[in-house]
Amino acid sequence: MDKIRNNAIVKKIGFNSLVLLCVLVLLFILFAILTPIMKPGTTFLSYSRIVSIFNYAYFLGFLSLGVTFVIATGGIDFSIGPVMYCAALISGQLLTKNGLPIGACLLISILVGIIFGCINGILVAYGGLPSFITSMASMMIAKGVGSVFTKTQSVSWPGGWYQNLVKWTVGGVEIPTGIIILFAGAAICAVVLNQTKIGRYILCIGSNREAVRLSGVDTKKWEMLAYIICGALAGVAAIFYVTVYTTVLPGGGDTFNNDAIAGCVMGGTSMAGGVASIGGTLIGVVIISLLQVGILAMGYQSQYQYVITGLIVLAVVYADLRSRRRSN
Amino acid sequence: MGDVILTMKGIDKSFPGVHALDHVDLEVRKGEVHALMGENGAGKSTLMKVLTGIYKKDEGTITYEGKEVEFSNPREAQDAGIVIVHQELNMMGHLTVAQNIFIGREIMKGKLIDDKKMNEEAKKLFDRLGIDIDPTETMSRLTVGKQQMCEIAKAISHDAKVIIFDEPSAALTEAEIEELFKIICDLRDKQLGIVYISHRMDEIKVITDRVTVMRDGGYVGTLITEDCTKDDIINMMVGRVIYEEPKTQSAVAPDAPVVLKVEHLNAGRMVQDVSFELRKGEILGFSGLMGAGRTETARALFGADPKDSGDVYINGKKVDIKTPQDAVRNGIGYLSEDRKRYGIVVDKTIAENSTMASLERFMKGIFINKKKENEAAQEYVDALNTKTPGVDQLVVNLSGGNQQKVVIAKWLVRNCDILIFDEPTRGIDVGAKSEIYTLMNKLAAEGKSIIMISSEMTEILRMSDRIVVMCEGKKTGELSIEEATQEKIMHAATLRN
Amino acid sequence: MTDKKKGNVFTNNPIVRAVGVQKIVVLLVLILLLVFFGAMSPSFRKYSTLLSIMDYTYYLAFLGMGVTFCLITGGVDLSIGTGMFCYAIIGGYLITKQGMPVIVGILVTLGCGLLMGTVNGLIVSRGGHAPFLATLCTMMIVRGLGAIVTNSTSVTWPASNVANGWTRKIFKITVGNTKFPLGLVWVILLAILLSMLLNRTKAGRYIIAIGSNKEAARLSGVNVANYQMLAYMICGLMTGLAGLAYSSAFQSMTPSGGSGIELNAIGGAIIGGTSMSGGSGSIAGTLLGVFIMSVLQTGLPFIGIQSNYQQIIIGLVLILAVYVDVLKNKKLA
Repeated sequence: MDKIRNNAIVKKIGFNSLVLLCVLVLLFILFAILTPIMKPGTTFLSYSRIVSIFNYAYFLGFLSLGVTFVIATGGIDFSIGPVMYCAALISGQLLTKNGLPIGACLLISILVGIIFGCINGILVAYGGLPSFITSMASMMIAKGVGSVFTKTQSVSWPGGWYQNLVKWTVGGVEIPTGIIILFAGAAICAVVLNQTKIGRYILCIGSNREAVRLSGVDTKKWEMLAYIICGALAGVAAIFYVTVYTTVLPGGGDTFNNDAIAGCVMGGTSMAGGVASIGGTLIGVVIISLLQVGILAMGYQSQYQYVITGLIVLAVVYADLRSRRRSN
Repeated sequence: MGDVILTMKGIDKSFPGVHALDHVDLEVRKGEVHALMGENGAGKSTLMKVLTGIYKKDEGTITYEGKEVEFSNPREAQDAGIVIVHQELNMMGHLTVAQNIFIGREIMKGKLIDDKKMNEEAKKLFDRLGIDIDPTETMSRLTVGKQQMCEIAKAISHDAKVIIFDEPSAALTEAEIEELFKIICDLRDKQLGIVYISHRMDEIKVITDRVTVMRDGGYVGTLITEDCTKDDIINMMVGRVIYEEPKTQSAVAPDAPVVLKVEHLNAGRMVQDVSFELRKGEILGFSGLMGAGRTETARALFGADPKDSGDVYINGKKVDIKTPQDAVRNGIGYLSEDRKRYGIVVDKTIAENSTMASLERFMKGIFINKKKENEAAQEYVDALNTKTPGVDQLVVNLSGGNQQKVVIAKWLVRNCDILIFDEPTRGIDVGAKSEIYTLMNKLAAEGKSIIMISSEMTEILRMSDRIVVMCEGKKTGELSIEEATQEKIMHAATLRN
Repeated sequence: MTDKKKGNVFTNNPIVRAVGVQKIVVLLVLILLLVFFGAMSPSFRKYSTLLSIMDYTYYLAFLGMGVTFCLITGGVDLSIGTGMFCYAIIGGYLITKQGMPVIVGILVTLGCGLLMGTVNGLIVSRGGHAPFLATLCTMMIVRGLGAIVTNSTSVTWPASNVANGWTRKIFKITVGNTKFPLGLVWVILLAILLSMLLNRTKAGRYIIAIGSNKEAARLSGVNVANYQMLAYMICGLMTGLAGLAYSSAFQSMTPSGGSGIELNAIGGAIIGGTSMSGGSGSIAGTLLGVFIMSVLQTGLPFIGIQSNYQQIIIGLVLILAVYVDVLKNKKLA
């Protein structure tokens, strides 16, 4: 075991991420075998199945990437799902009812996310409120604002050039732009987290806030930034959500919180803060998406996915606690 | 004084690397107040922890009421009648006074708690002790002194025969101390044995019958309080042979400019009207006993805690330091006494820790220039002789001394001119210690100015060019190294005014 | 140095101190709210409004009182909203779809609550999980569980006019032509009982002690893990009871529903003076806070504010309540 752990390549990728990749592959094989058994006459292995896994992974990926920054500071954001919905509703309403250009609407979507991120960030970093209850309150506010803005009507985004963000057909060739953008987004997040001042301070605040403060760092500012990044990415997630699913109902979105946080925690980001892995989050998100699609493919409803996700998060967090206790 | 109730004989206790107690003796009689004295780290608390079963002794015997005993936890000791009143309070602030006193042994009426009865019992207890506290008051609404009184009352309510007071007066006001003394005298008259740990020389003279002095984990001697003077006790406390050469004269030029001037600094109870100056290239020692307010002074100066009032001048210019950011911007670096909590981020690398205070210097556009960062970290790993395989090593894997060097490197990378070293050698082995001393001398010679807070007398006398002594939040003395002796420092450190 | 908190004439008044400043303020706010809604809308001033306020109050009160115990230990239980739905749906499913006696349905509902409370308690006290995260996971689990058991069908407990509908009469009894909010009697009785449990028994005393200073409680010989677990068990049982109250007052319950209700209950507790940081809280305060929540919920539509605005308002109220709590703790420190 230790030999594998200390292998140079393994170290480079990260042991946890490798385990996670194996889990992903195994799950995939499991679904491929079980689906025809559970639901005779169907097969799991099809192009459309892969597409639906990734369709779920796009928006979830951005949500999860965002919340990774917040969890890295030792906080939590429960408002991301509803904020995503809220952003999609507001920008969609402006697009369909007010006739704003698509480009502007996409920007507005991100802006809505940033505003909610700012609110959370200010309340947590400067107001000293506990992040989980604060973000739950702003979750309610986001739900309310979304439905107020659309007068409790659902919003359906019409087709448009923005759909190329997920799949771009150029001269008969389909380019999976969604995957490219998700991976590019993850790469940027990884760079921000590991190569820039923001990321450095966010991670250090999560490890030992007081030591960072006593080094003369404005910890409040950087903590707030983590929430803003998270909000902005929820806005980006909204764009991908409407691209794939087109219709958004007001008042929902909170189930995605759990999926996003689950993906992040599964990927090796510690709930205690200070440790985060963007690559891990990405794999975690794909696993969650696979579960979602796979369970449906086997003929079960999504409620099984809730239960499984809940159990997985409990187990992963427990493992994290155990390893922490052992190293102390 | 009556019969002997408690005898500790030849108590020996070692921790890995430290011989904490070296064959210590202590004898307590019924109806006496027995002072236990010694500098910080002399072993008083360890001895009491051995007595109450928190630590297991390696050697020696404890005889209590004529029988040899060995308690395995404080609860057992308490049941036998030996209770300890801790300096730090173990109170549940949301509960009432009576509820706190009876926690874990509530008076019941059937299935329900009989709060009325508990209040009555508490009231009786307070009346007996002559304390005026309302048992129904919420604990957090009391002053620290009153809370301390409750802790004492709780201890007494356990039918104690021996009570240990661990620096009970530190948090009390003048009037409260008088009240405390009355209680103690009362307990003495009731033939209880009392161990009184304190740093306050004048209190010892007033309240105690005998004094046992400890030094560096060893037993020095026991005196009858009435027959000895304050100087006798101080001499016993500090009368060690100093192996390391103490500094005999200041290395600072007499005309060296003042780089830092602090005037009338106030911050809460622990920092009262503290003023001092720091010259270029000087190591200014801050001496004092535990709870003297030295760390609090440093933290207030650094902006880590809010200050109430006071002016700070750097190079003659008045500066406004409200946060650590302000302090760092003004070239002050602070090495905390609690490295793990306030100094380093343990699960990050040496390089990341080294550049923590000066990251903007290592930026290439928006990116951190890791190459430059590693080079800078490596430079200080070499300069400070930090033992590590590389700068990408996590700090958690380093020894205490090397962790300390990483914190020092953090401030050197930042190029701070004024460094506050709070207990720089605490928890560090002998070899690393002398390395840090050499380093501090080198830094001072290079023109950096250092405030060194230390509880070790030898360290103060060896390193300082000048010494400020504090006691209970006030500056009680300032000595040049030429005139400083252990006795003079200890005098000032126990001076209450 | 005199007493830390000097206070003023008002706060030092013995009656005010016995009741608590916050509770008096909350009571005043409650009265003001009622007066405000009454003044703004004539139709609010009807007896039926009182009945619908009560319908909201019952389940919120049970949830709020239960979660108060968790909050006092310094924890929280986020699974109560979805849990309430899950347990009541399982119970109702057994009655309506499986033809079991009503009493079985009731016992199963309560039993499920107690069971999940125990699970939460075990995870938090023995596993050492952060309460909010542990109960978030169980929230997901119960959200799925209800749907799995009932195969995703929504459930309505028997209506009051059928033989099995007597559960509804527990909370709302019709005498002659008038309906009486009988549930209020149960809520108040239970509040007194729980208040006794919290303030007059060892269990309650130790739950407060743990929230106030866990280490000191441990050193005083209190079995911290057991009493921490007990708090979650009480909360779980109360959640089951809330499920009964909800199913008696309202029509169909969809599986996987109920999320967000936990925030109304927690919000009510915090408004009533229970601290997020543990150690202090009262059942009476929670009850008052819950009344504010249910009056808001019932009253806002009367002045033309629809449920979407309500969420915003309740979110803001929650933030305000938590902020007041943070300020209070800062002052104490």
